[in-house]
Amino acid sequence: MTQLTLINALLKPHLAFKEIAQVDSNAAKILQKIVPLLLLAPPIFVWLGSGLFGWRMGADEALFLDNTSRVIISFCYFIALSLGFFSTVFIAHWMGVTYGADKPLKVYFALITVVYFPFLIGSIAHIYPNAFFNLLVLLLTLIWCMTLLYKGLPVALEIPPERGMLMSSSLVAWLLVGAVSLLGISVGLWTIGIGPAIAV
Amino acid sequence: MNGIKLHKKLEENTGLLIFGILFVSAIGGLVQVIPSLYDESLSTPTANTRVYDAVELTGRDIYIREGCHVCHSQQIRPLVAEVERYGPYSRAGEFAYDRPFLWGSKRTGPDLHRVGGKYTDIWHEVHLLNPRAVVPESIMPAYPWLFERNASQAGNIKKKMQALKRLGHPYTDDEIANAAAALDGLLEIDALVRYLQMLGTGYDESMNDMEGM
Amino acid sequence: MSQNTKEIYHDHIVIRLIQFSLFWVIVAMAVGVYLAAEFIWPEIDFGQFWLSFGRIRPLHTNGIIFGFGVSALMATAFYSVQRTSHVPLFMPRLAWFCCYAWQLIILLGGLSLLAGWTSSKEYAELEWPFDIAIAIVWVCFGVVFFGTIANRRIRPIYVSNWFYGGLIIVIAMLHIVNNLAIPVTIGKSYSLYAGAQDAIVQWWYGHNAVGFLLTGGFLGMMYYFLPKQSGQPIWSYRLSVVSFWAFTYSYIWAGPHHLHFSAIPEWVQSLAMVMSLVLLAPSWASMINGIMTVSKAWERLRTDPALKFVVMSLAFYGLATFEGPMMAIRSVNVVSHFTDWTIGHVHSGALGWNAMITYGTFYYLVPKLVGRELYSTKMANLHFWLALAGTMLYVLSMWAAGVSQGLLWLSIDEYGQLSFSFREIMAAMSSYYGLRLIAGLIFFAGTILMTWNLFMTMRGQKTVEVTPPPVAEKYRINPSPKPAADHTGTEVPA
Repeated sequence: MTQLTLINALLKPHLAFKEIAQVDSNAAKILQKIVPLLLLAPPIFVWLGSGLFGWRMGADEALFLDNTSRVIISFCYFIALSLGFFSTVFIAHWMGVTYGADKPLKVYFALITVVYFPFLIGSIAHIYPNAFFNLLVLLLTLIWCMTLLYKGLPVALEIPPERGMLMSSSLVAWLLVGAVSLLGISVGLWTIGIGPAIAV
Repeated sequence: MNGIKLHKKLEENTGLLIFGILFVSAIGGLVQVIPSLYDESLSTPTANTRVYDAVELTGRDIYIREGCHVCHSQQIRPLVAEVERYGPYSRAGEFAYDRPFLWGSKRTGPDLHRVGGKYTDIWHEVHLLNPRAVVPESIMPAYPWLFERNASQAGNIKKKMQALKRLGHPYTDDEIANAAAALDGLLEIDALVRYLQMLGTGYDESMNDMEGM
Repeated sequence: MSQNTKEIYHDHIVIRLIQFSLFWVIVAMAVGVYLAAEFIWPEIDFGQFWLSFGRIRPLHTNGIIFGFGVSALMATAFYSVQRTSHVPLFMPRLAWFCCYAWQLIILLGGLSLLAGWTSSKEYAELEWPFDIAIAIVWVCFGVVFFGTIANRRIRPIYVSNWFYGGLIIVIAMLHIVNNLAIPVTIGKSYSLYAGAQDAIVQWWYGHNAVGFLLTGGFLGMMYYFLPKQSGQPIWSYRLSVVSFWAFTYSYIWAGPHHLHFSAIPEWVQSLAMVMSLVLLAPSWASMINGIMTVSKAWERLRTDPALKFVVMSLAFYGLATFEGPMMAIRSVNVVSHFTDWTIGHVHSGALGWNAMITYGTFYYLVPKLVGRELYSTKMANLHFWLALAGTMLYVLSMWAAGVSQGLLWLSIDEYGQLSFSFREIMAAMSSYYGLRLIAGLIFFAGTILMTWNLFMTMRGQKTVEVTPPPVAEKYRINPSPKPAADHTGTEVPA
């Protein structure tokens, strides 16, 4: 049962989402257990990758950072992912009312966990931190995540697909803003001296 | 609820609405733009900044015509890395005779504000004829037509200088009278290279002390 | 004389403007795709001056903003102002003049850009003869628009009209002030302002052309068509009132954030940065208003592909209006300025917001105007996914390219030396430029699909004749001068 929910989440998402929708099933509980893994793994991959291969932003030479910077960056990434994850759960819960969903928070938790799942797989690419390679993997991951979101959300929340489409789009708006904030915050940190050495 | 009442008036009167929009939208410009137009520190040339001569002016207008400013900025920001890469950062007074300004908004290619003197004339000519001959990675377009046209055909230089004189550029009557002759025998490429070679030469060491950098 | 007693909304002109808008979007996007290809294969200008990057880039921006954008805004403004005023257009002949004169300006103006006539000022590249022509047509547009409002039969002026009104008035002010110049020859003039002052005036214009045309104008479109498409009143009228005035007041200040770290005075830069952050509030107020309005109308999504575009456009509107203020913060701008991040930001607005909301509006409007179902709903649904994929890919590839450029340009090694040469960094961008080309092609393919779909919908159809409906006594003003005009639409002999 435990394994089934997770495997379903990857291979047969509609089954997983149906299971999530049943409030008294223990799917939500199982999924909650893997959240720490989801949030910790990508930063660890970043830490590993930046040490092993260095950052390649496209130019020939790799940017190597000292261990302290790498730890700080990975930690910031962890914070950002956690903020992104939990804020999306709570915002989805808050939005749900507008779109006629009436589910406890744990259902949203499970839903976002499944939607986020492909990102864990995609984040393995961080081990080789070549910017373009990571972008390509991220694009594929994004398509996967968005498909799960648009298809899964109405099933898990048991609302009509049209309302699900509206709500998913609102969440996409939130995630886009989140993504660009992440960019902005990282750039801001570089400017004040955390991360890669830039001379401003 | 007075605000609502007031708004009801605006909402029902075309003239008031037009006036309201004009008034509200004009404030920002009046406070921000108008004082800048009277700020003399922005319009006073630095000691070494001079007007463009006939050839340079022609070159500058070719630079504009070909849209060089679309990919090259002419504005070095006061950042350590930028000063190291391009040279001393840009001062307002250096642009006092720039009509229009050519600071640009995108660097597909490098900044050009201090490109003057960095490369030889020949380098520029080869580069403009076939950029990849000197910079293999370059994605700059080639400009073969500049090598076929006479500089004197790129606009009426006398009229140009007269127009600029009316705007306050200190051209003498002699300079204007001899302008056309100065372009004799030059191709467009020659004028453009002359302009590129004088870019950024308005800088002098004294500006550093002046601003206490 | 006698057959003209029935009052009919002037919708022919709306259709014609939509057709022109579709024509320009195809032309200007094709140019955009070509430009994207020139980033990868610079030789494809074949040594022809009129295919050179520096000349066709302004053709792309002007074609999209003024060809596609303004034609669409004129079309929807003419359509909605008649319906919100319950009266046909004021001076319809002048409206036709605006329609055709505008297209002529774009056509000849575009050719003049290829010929190298340019003032070099972004989004104001057209030279002085065109500037004068634009000013004249714009004033005529204002006369038709405000004349119709003045003639209206219903007391309140609906909120979409304020946004369109703001577009007309503010753009007129900006256009005239920014383009003041001394003409030398027919295709050459010198700006009245020089250097740093010219820069301040230009970005006061440039930023607010984006503000009042691409944001404000299209918000007017949203405020009229979203309630119509969703069959719901606007979620909060009061919010729209507050956001309109806050938007109009604060947008104007933000221009100099395009000149951070330049030679303009510090106080101007700081003020612009603060006002850019303030601007987020009114921008998002309109987004929330839109999202809440459409959230009640979900049942329409089942049958109406148009609404999807509007929903997605609001998401990208939210992104772009958040990203803009963020990039105006000096410590972000220091990295993002001069890079492709700016290009990505512009396109998240232009593709995600402007194009999508216009496409949504066209899919709704065209079938209504010609009285026939949309030719193919399937095609429209496919277009939606192409548009979404194209925009996403564009934005992400330019984010990655821009942040890389910004970081690498500034990065130094342990000795304090620059880590990378400019050409190394430039060469590293080619894979992102490749992705961007693909993104552009995907979006362009969707646009072609839509044009075909709308063309087949319009083909052979006549414009539906609509008469102004009666206005409830309570709201009525300006009774019709000719009592002959009957609101129910029955013929009354003169």
